[in-house]
Amino acid sequence: MKVRLHIKGKNLWRLCTLIVLCIVLSCCYTIIDSVDQPGSAVVGSTVKITVNVKNSCNSSGTARIIFGFLTPKGWKTGDNAKVTYSSSKGDGNMVLLPANSTIIAAHSNGVNWPTYMKNFFGNAGNLIDDVEWVAYQSDVPVNYNNGDKITGTINITINNIGADGNPTLVKLAYVVANDQNGFTFDGNDGDSSPTTEYYNEFVNPSCFELTGGTGDLVDFCNPQLTTIDPPKSLDNDIVTLTYNNNVVTPALLANSSAVYLCATATMSDGKTVTVCDQSAQTMLTQTSATSGIYRLTFWPRKLFGATTGQTVISMTYFITDKSGSTKIGYGGTSAPFTYKFKCT
Amino acid sequence: MNNHFILKKQAYLFIAAMALLWTSCKMERIAPVTESKKDLTGTWKVVQATRNGTNLLPIYDFTQFSIKFDATTGSYNLLNPVPFIVGADGKFSLDDPQYPYKLTFTAAGATPVATAFNYPIINGTRQIIMTFSPGCSQNTYVFTLSKTN
Repeated sequence: MKVRLHIKGKNLWRLCTLIVLCIVLSCCYTIIDSVDQPGSAVVGSTVKITVNVKNSCNSSGTARIIFGFLTPKGWKTGDNAKVTYSSSKGDGNMVLLPANSTIIAAHSNGVNWPTYMKNFFGNAGNLIDDVEWVAYQSDVPVNYNNGDKITGTINITINNIGADGNPTLVKLAYVVANDQNGFTFDGNDGDSSPTTEYYNEFVNPSCFELTGGTGDLVDFCNPQLTTIDPPKSLDNDIVTLTYNNNVVTPALLANSSAVYLCATATMSDGKTVTVCDQSAQTMLTQTSATSGIYRLTFWPRKLFGATTGQTVISMTYFITDKSGSTKIGYGGTSAPFTYKFKCT
Repeated sequence: MNNHFILKKQAYLFIAAMALLWTSCKMERIAPVTESKKDLTGTWKVVQATRNGTNLLPIYDFTQFSIKFDATTGSYNLLNPVPFIVGADGKFSLDDPQYPYKLTFTAAGATPVATAFNYPIINGTRQIIMTFSPGCSQNTYVFTLSKTN
C-alpha cells in the first residue's frame, strides 16, 4: 500500500525551504582587482580613489555591499569622505556605518562593522595605533544570480584630506565584503584564499604621503626611534615614551638596563624648563633584558613642574646614556625629537 | 467498646492537629529596612588604573597618591596628586545620600565636575570606580579606589 503524506500548505513549505536554502547558500567570491590611488597629496586638498572589484557568484541571492577604508583617525574620514559604487548591477551611494553603529555585522560574534574590521584586520601594518576602519554599506541590496560575474568600482572622494593638519606617511587599506557572509570563506573549497573568500582586503604596499600642513609629521609606516602613547595627549595625561634601540644598526646606545630622557619643555607663558638629570624621574627602563625597548611613563605637568595656570605646550628631547654624554636625536641625528601636546 | 475508644482517640488527634495548625501561623510585621547612607569618609587609594585599556599600575607609581573624603565637612583632600578628575582640593557631594548616581567634585575656584557613582563591593570591601579624561577627551582613564584602614 502506498502511503500518501498530506501536508497542509505543501507548496508554501517548499517555497520557504527554497528561500532558506538560497539565503544560506547565497555567496559571491570577492576580490579587489586594483586600487587607483595617488601616491601623495597635499594637506587640505581633495583626493579621489577608485577601488576596482570583481565578484564571481555561485548561487543567487541578495546582499548589501560592505566597504571598509583604513585611514588615520585625525583625518575624520567619516565626515570628510563621500563614497559611491557603480557596478554591472547598478549604481548607488555607500552609506556610512559610524563607529557607534548599532548594525551588527554577520559572523562577527555580535559587534558592529567598524569593530569587526578592526578585530579582523587590525591596523594593516601601520605601526601607530591611531588609525580607524571607516565602514560603509550600499544604500540598497544588490540582487545576483548563479554564475554572475559582477564587476564594479567603489569611488571615494576625500575632501580636506588630513583634517588634523599633520603631514603623514600611512598605509591605506581597503576591504570589500557583503553583509550576509561577513569575513568568511567557502569551507567546501578548502583554505581561506583570495579565490574562496567572500571578502577581500587590499593593503597598499607603498606608503601614502601627505605633505604640507602645520602639524608634526606622523609616520605610521617606518619604525620610529621614539614613540609616544597615547599618540595625542595633553600635559595632564599620563604619557608613555618608548625608545627603540633596534631601529638603527648598529644600535645607537650600548645595551644597558636603562637610558635617560633629556627634555626641554615650552610653557604656555613662553618660559622653557629643561629636565636632563639622568635620575629616576627621567629613566627609561628596558622592558626585558636585551629587548632594546625602553619605556618611561610620566605626567608631563609633574616632570616639568608646571604651576597652576601654566600648561606645557610642547617639548623637544634627546635620549641619553647614563653619563649623559651620548645624545640621540631625531632620526639618530643631533637635532632633537619634537612633540606637541595637542588633541588633534 | 473498642471502636468507641478508637473514635475518641481520633477526635483527640483531630483537636490536637487543629490546635497545632491554629498556633503555627502568626502574623509577621516586616519593618522596611532603611537603605544605609553611602559614607565615603576615609582615605582611598588606587588599586586599579587603566589608560585606554592599558594597565598603568606596573608602569606608573600610584602608591603615594590618595584622596581623603570627609562627609561631615563635605570636603576632600588630595595627597601627592596624579592626573585625576580634579587637580586641587575642594568639596564633594552625592546627588542622593541613600541612592546616589552621581559624585560631584568642586575644586576650590573651579567649576563642578561630575562622575557616575560606581560603588561595588569587591572581596568584601567597598570600591569606587571612576572614569574620566584629565587630558585629551579621547583618552579615557578608569581608576578603581579602595579604602585604606
